[in-house]
Amino acid sequence: MSPEFYIGLLLMVIGTWACAFPRDREYLTRLINLEIPAFGLLLVALSFDETLALLTFIAVSTLTTFVLVLLIERKVAA
Amino acid sequence: MNILLFLIFFVIILAGGIYAGFARDPYAKLIGIGLIGGGVMPLIIARGYVDVATALAVIIPLSTIFVLQLCRKGAV
Repeated sequence: MSPEFYIGLLLMVIGTWACAFPRDREYLTRLINLEIPAFGLLLVALSFDETLALLTFIAVSTLTTFVLVLLIERKVAA
Repeated sequence: MNILLFLIFFVIILAGGIYAGFARDPYAKLIGIGLIGGGVMPLIIARGYVDVATALAVIIPLSTIFVLQLCRKGAV
């Protein structure tokens, strides 16, 4: 396996831990922490040389962030 | 690719990941995410995916703008 694979796995573990057990339990903190494992998964997809998977994952990750931002705004406003 | 360059990029990515995971301030977290992006981008280009790197250069700030929108309103 290429070095990108291992650094991606390490980043996924760090990000998942930070997202599951954040230092202050707020929605915003969890949302920002969610981007760390996304980069880890990006590196894992990069190590497998899948261009289409990379592009699709980047786009969907941003779309998910947008939807979660809308959801948190509504939750806080309610 | 040069092993020294790999090591430098890995240190950048790890520093960004740990800093973004442990910082309390949302703005500091966003800076950590930017640090990860700065480490990931050369690795993608080193593999030859310049088109993916171009898309990433557009999409990463877009994601940051969405989160900043939430930070500005103080919705926590």
